[in-house]
Amino acid sequence: MSTDTFHSIILPLKEKLFRLAYGIVRDRAEAEDILQDLLLKLWSRKDEWAGIGNLEAYCFRAIKNMSLDRLASLAIRKTILPQREEQCYFVDNHSPHQELIRKEQRSMIDQCIGALPETQRLVFRLREVEEMSYRQIAVTLDISEELVKVSLFRARKRMKELLSRY
Amino acid sequence: MSREYINILLERYWNCETSVREEQELRDFFSRADLPEEFIQYLPLFSYIGEEQVVTMSDDFDERLQASVKAAGMKKKEKTRIIAPLLRIAASLLLIGGLGISLFFITRQQNKPYYTETINNTSDTNTAMQQATYALEKLSDALQMSEEASVETIRSLEELDIDWSTLDSLSNIATDDSVKVNSLRINKEDNI
Repeated sequence: MSTDTFHSIILPLKEKLFRLAYGIVRDRAEAEDILQDLLLKLWSRKDEWAGIGNLEAYCFRAIKNMSLDRLASLAIRKTILPQREEQCYFVDNHSPHQELIRKEQRSMIDQCIGALPETQRLVFRLREVEEMSYRQIAVTLDISEELVKVSLFRARKRMKELLSRY
Repeated sequence: MSREYINILLERYWNCETSVREEQELRDFFSRADLPEEFIQYLPLFSYIGEEQVVTMSDDFDERLQASVKAAGMKKKEKTRIIAPLLRIAASLLLIGGLGISLFFITRQQNKPYYTETINNTSDTNTAMQQATYALEKLSDALQMSEEASVETIRSLEELDIDWSTLDSLSNIATDDSVKVNSLRINKEDNI
């Protein structure tokens, strides 16, 4: 039963959980470590799953908290996260000049999202990247749907202002 | 998709009125190579979202995870394999030891000979017999001596030639005197 739960509910979430961790710590290796820690913890406590109402939301909350803790410990250790290597997901025939502009824009968006308050940043990420519904986000972050909408509205507004200025 | 429709979608997007499916439509639109000039300013945002959606883990993550799960399982098994048998062995030894010690003391108490002091911790029966004979001889001598002493005392009393009847009469006189003294006391009390 528990092994089935692990394979049917938890493992399919791993990509999403990884992306959420990555969205917080902005480091792929760290995000993988965090996800591995979480999955091991979940596996070792499989007897407790029956007592968890929404296992999916529990996993997201856990990865969020672990990622924030890891980020804090990284900040305490004054470890400078390596600058993210630009990934060329959309390979096209951009010229070097266009590529430079694209990098600048990307950096600007990164900074803008990084400057958002924690709730806004998480809501924005869960909605835009993970395509979650407002209800799912509310359950995952343990906040009201109203707060989800307000946070997303403010985050998008900030983004629109930034893009309009550029 | 017409520009008007995209503009409407965008306006709804900024106001958080779009559905997940409509937002997907917007992302698809912004991934087009021939993006109209008026929408270029929003491209970085949708490019960013598109890039973040395809961030994936390392290829060997599953292998590492399986190895970690296996290692964690092995640790757990080792713990149970090492500790549990040790505890069982320790408990068995304790039980056997306890039983052995108790049996040793019980049998020792039961086998303790009551003549230990007589034979002075030796198992030589001849010595025990000699000592017992010696003790009995001593007892016999003592009895004989006391018997002889009693005979001598009787004999010396006979030699004294005491008139036992006189002694008896003396005792009668003593009782008569005491009666007299008592009667005198009563008379004195009456006179007073």
